Amino acid sequence: MSSRYNVGDRVTIREQFSIFYTRTQAYTRGRMGTVVQQFETGLIPEDEAYGNEDGRVEPFYKVRFRQADLWPEYSFPADTLETEFSESWLLPAREEP
Amino acid sequence: MSQPADVARLKEQIAAIEPAIRTPLDGPYDITNDLFRTLMQIDHDLGGEPAVSVQYLEKEELDWELNVYVTCETLGWRHVWNSEERRRLGNCELGRTMYLGIPYYGRWILAVAMMLLDKHHITLPELTDKMDEVRARYEGRAA
Repeated sequence: MSSRYNVGDRVTIREQFSIFYTRTQAYTRGRMGTVVQQFETGLIPEDEAYGNEDGRVEPFYKVRFRQADLWPEYSFPADTLETEFSESWLLPAREEP
Repeated sequence: MSQPADVARLKEQIAAIEPAIRTPLDGPYDITNDLFRTLMQIDHDLGGEPAVSVQYLEKEELDWELNVYVTCETLGWRHVWNSEERRRLGNCELGRTMYLGIPYYGRWILAVAMMLLDKHHITLPELTDKMDEVRARYEGRAA
């Protein structure tokens, strides 16, 4: 499965509603970040969590966010946070305002 | 005049007793979509929640904790489960009170029990009989 995003691409995290299990932090949803690393494809956590070994397989990415983009009152503009997503959680970044 | 150390201690003590805002719930007949969304919030997704200050303490693993860890890893090597199933059961399906209230490896071993029951490797009476047997042994009585 080929990767849709490359290192350096700007992405927005999908605002999907989750129930029961997720690895996608609520504070990242709808936020914009930059792909900093690609990983091998793997079973998505939402299937793996139910032992569904034949579930959906996707590439994974590490995305870097500015902390100030995640937390409205964050006052250190240089600080960043990195976390990982399977591909279907990512959308091409919306236009910057 | 207070010394700075006293002020820090005072602030910690205030943080430890400051009132918590709660909305009691007791099986309501109706809930709003907004409350449903709040209730469905996934327990291990804690980032950004308001919290009082926490004192960080160094802690070595105890024997029982290492035994729990090895048990969980062995069940993984044997393909009985994977670590994502362990997180779902031990982080997200215990409910928030147990998620916050039970020690870390206590949640791991509860996840093992939930999984072994779900997958019919053990039965609930087998588990509760064994718990009675162990409790009796620790109380110095014959099991």
